[in-house]
Amino acid sequence: MRVHQQPGYVLHTRPYRESSLLVEVFTKDHGRLSLLAKGARQLKSRIRGLLCPFQSLLLSWSGRGELPILTAAEFDQAYAELTGEHRLCGFYVNELLMYLLHRHDPHSRLYDCYRQVVDRLAQSCDYEWSLRIFEKNLLRELGYALNLEYDATTNQAIDPKSSYSYVPEFGAVKVTAGGYNGVIVNGSTLITLHREELADEYAKAECKRLMRVMINRQLGRRVLHSRKLFGGLRVAAAGGAER
Amino acid sequence: MADVYAIEALKKALRRLPGVGPKTARRMAFHLLERDREGAREIAAAINQAVQTVTHCRRCNTLSEAQLCDICASAKRDDALLCVVETPADLESVEQAGVYSGKYFVLMGHISPLDGIGPDDLGIDRLRQLLSNGGIREVIVATNLTVEGEATADYIRQITDTLDVKVTRLARGVPVGGELEYMDHGTLAQAFNDRRSI
Ligand SMILES: [Zn+2]
Repeated sequence: MRVHQQPGYVLHTRPYRESSLLVEVFTKDHGRLSLLAKGARQLKSRIRGLLCPFQSLLLSWSGRGELPILTAAEFDQAYAELTGEHRLCGFYVNELLMYLLHRHDPHSRLYDCYRQVVDRLAQSCDYEWSLRIFEKNLLRELGYALNLEYDATTNQAIDPKSSYSYVPEFGAVKVTAGGYNGVIVNGSTLITLHREELADEYAKAECKRLMRVMINRQLGRRVLHSRKLFGGLRVAAAGGAER
Repeated sequence: MADVYAIEALKKALRRLPGVGPKTARRMAFHLLERDREGAREIAAAINQAVQTVTHCRRCNTLSEAQLCDICASAKRDDALLCVVETPADLESVEQAGVYSGKYFVLMGHISPLDGIGPDDLGIDRLRQLLSNGGIREVIVATNLTVEGEATADYIRQITDTLDVKVTRLARGVPVGGELEYMDHGTLAQAFNDRRSI
């Protein structure tokens, strides 16, 4: 099989044999897969400098089986560099994809969300909300879509003025109904997340709490090292624990 | 068959070396056993010796036979300069470049969340301690110019925030003798971002 100029990102690379590189990529139409970049670690290699995470690339490869050979790579957009906190966030989304996506499953809508997060991280603009949208779409792609439109018990539309308890794998239930022990969020927050509209600070904070619980359920006992690193930096910088 | 087992064990052991796959390991094993038994004994003895005597320098963390490596023990090196590198091989490269006369700190790796390597797995605590002892004017962060190397550099900068020390990073860009036409586009793009006035 030959794939020509497929849009994609490098998630991670690992040295392979003497001079090659094992490249884990996330592509628009072919999802996540591993490619072998032969000779990429040699000094004269012209693609080593391109095979970095967070660069929008056009990748070509050929071969069947577990490890196709990367035949070409070029920049798709201007070179973009993530720095500081933004780089850590980049590691976070890459870690999520590495842990949670199966290989060779196409996820083109998620790819667009990923691209948007990385773009925002590169431009150093407010990325938190793009991150939430990415997480929401990731869960949907994994088959654990959130039900943000209707009350899980009454099936009525979410009331923006009510307070809800969001129970994983069940949905939102009005707090006044009692008996449910989920994440407490405003109805308006659920609607905002559903419509992917611009959120105010309060809704962002609520979504962050909600998504953290949801993502953690998918991760199980797996620890996200980027999150740990983020926490460590925040503690060092602000003298307080990141929650 | 015990003899076959010994050959298999040797091949398996050789494959632990970086860049050695099954074919190379087989070639090496047969070469040593068929043609160079003397050499094989020499290698075995050298490995044994090294494993027993080489430890980490207690100041800079590099591999050393003495408690303090030659560079750390040297009175000719500038104590006020500290160059932080990822590996002993990187230290050797900087030494061979012949432009640096300060001292080193070797992290023995880099921060890489996707490989599960965090600051606690590196010698960063010891680096922090070394820096807080004072006497260092400038820290030159010479970690690799990869995302992991940059993340490590960031972390080092963060831990020096509260200390009165200048932190610098290796410049990146067009290699000496480099012709733009043949250069990889990533390096060229970074060289543009980091351009300077002349
Ligand atoms: Zn030393």
